[in-house]
Amino acid sequence: MRPRKVVPYLIILPSIILIVSFFIAPYTNMLITSFRPPGRGVVEGLTIANYVKGLTDRYYTGVLLFTLSLGAITTLSTLLLGYPLAYHLAQRETKFKAAFFIMVLSPLLTDVVIRCYGWMLLLGDRGLINNALTDMGLVKKSLPLMYNVGGVYVGLVHVYLPFMVLSLIGSIQSIDPSLREAARSLGASNVRVFFRITLPLSLPGIASGCVLVFLLSVSSYVIPILLGGNKVMITPVLVIQTVLEALNWPFGAALAFILFSCAVIIVSLLFLILDKLTKGVSARERS
Amino acid sequence: MHVKGRRSKRKAGSVIYRTILVLIYTFILLPEIIVVIAAFNAGEYLTFPPQGFSIRWFVAFAHSEPFINAMLMSLRLAIFTLCITLTLGTMAAFFVVRYGGRLRGLIRVLMTAPLLFPAVITAAALLIYYYQVTGWRNRTFIGLLMGHVLITSPYVFLTISSTLYNFDVSLEEAARTLGASSLRTFAKITMPLIKSGLIAGGMFAFIVSWGQFPISLLLAGIGLTTLPIQLFDYVRWSFDPTAAAAAAISILLALIAVIVVQKLAGLESLRW
Repeated sequence: MRPRKVVPYLIILPSIILIVSFFIAPYTNMLITSFRPPGRGVVEGLTIANYVKGLTDRYYTGVLLFTLSLGAITTLSTLLLGYPLAYHLAQRETKFKAAFFIMVLSPLLTDVVIRCYGWMLLLGDRGLINNALTDMGLVKKSLPLMYNVGGVYVGLVHVYLPFMVLSLIGSIQSIDPSLREAARSLGASNVRVFFRITLPLSLPGIASGCVLVFLLSVSSYVIPILLGGNKVMITPVLVIQTVLEALNWPFGAALAFILFSCAVIIVSLLFLILDKLTKGVSARERS
Repeated sequence: MHVKGRRSKRKAGSVIYRTILVLIYTFILLPEIIVVIAAFNAGEYLTFPPQGFSIRWFVAFAHSEPFINAMLMSLRLAIFTLCITLTLGTMAAFFVVRYGGRLRGLIRVLMTAPLLFPAVITAAALLIYYYQVTGWRNRTFIGLLMGHVLITSPYVFLTISSTLYNFDVSLEEAARTLGASSLRTFAKITMPLIKSGLIAGGMFAFIVSWGQFPISLLLAGIGLTTLPIQLFDYVRWSFDPTAAAAAAISILLALIAVIVVQKLAGLESLRW
């Protein structure tokens, strides 16, 4: 080979080595580990006992179902809150657009622990809301605002909202504004324009946003621990406890793969449904 | 009459829309504002109205050895990560945009894969791998660093490849036809033109490493505690606002980074 042909492969080589030895190899190793006999450390032998336990034991399936439904509710909520925000940011003529963009994105770039801490300062037993309510004499005992599912839910929606907004902006922006103007000049109300034009045409953005937020929220760890105390148990927390504290790597690995496979199956179903819907929209447009 | 009625209805609709927007923006910013207020609040607990302005928690932070050590650790880790990831990411982006060929799609997927897999699971996989295969049993700095490099590389790769796609190759060709060596062309033409992309990519690497949680939690051994881990341990058991002071400094850093990225590259370039 001439040296000129070799150089390009030399510049990609370090990245390939990185991905193969610190991503593909660890995941392959974890997949093998998940088929090892359960217990501390790793012993030889192959078994599906870990998967059987993770998929049949009432406790683990219960936690898994709870994790997936919490993820679904979070996804839906971020969509409802994120859509108006993305719609606002997608307008070309908005003043101070950069400032609004920074407002939406800055939480994305601050540490999750800090954002949870902010909610703890607000929602805690001696947090701002409870202090204010007690001072005003509205409540005698502080309200249980966190260390429960509600607190975790608020944290999840807050942390993953920027991801939804970022996914939506592009698809809303790419809608030709003349479509909306045409509909309006033909007498359609704003509400009708939104449901017949804007919403259907932004379905691809909705799909990618939902996929992203769902995958992120079913694998969150910091939020359920800080805002749920030890009262809210979800699968990622179980995985970390099993790996880090019980040192039962095979079972922890199996739990991780079960969670990940379920999430991927749900996401693929969502994609299929939204793909059907999108095709329906374009068919209607043509007719 | 009919038209007038419709107009006032539209006006009412826009008022509702604006109110909703203000509420959502408040929801987004509220926790961070609260952290900053708590950091400057004189009292132990946050009350409404606050109990007066004070920098005592910043002083407490400056005297807290665990916090200062954790911050230095995070800084060291983020700078190492930035240097390695920026080099690797730029090289990979160059390959994919300029030479990719049939491998282009495959390498794009490989380079962005760490972003698509949950960080918690990646962290667990790395922990088991280090123990079983590489033999980094006592959780070494190099193990932690490689975890950070892996997690930050998709951000750098995506930012720099989007800069390169918008790059006018004819400028390079002109320099080459005028007799510049390829090294000189790279230094004089290519580098200055992709500078904003490089800075934005570097910022992302720094910020993602700075705020990285699951990887650090599982891979950081004794003496390798980063700031997010220290904050996490601290706020789990106490409400002492020293944590708020540390958090406020961290927020300030992130804000500066966001503004720099916005000025240089425009945040709109961040797409996935």
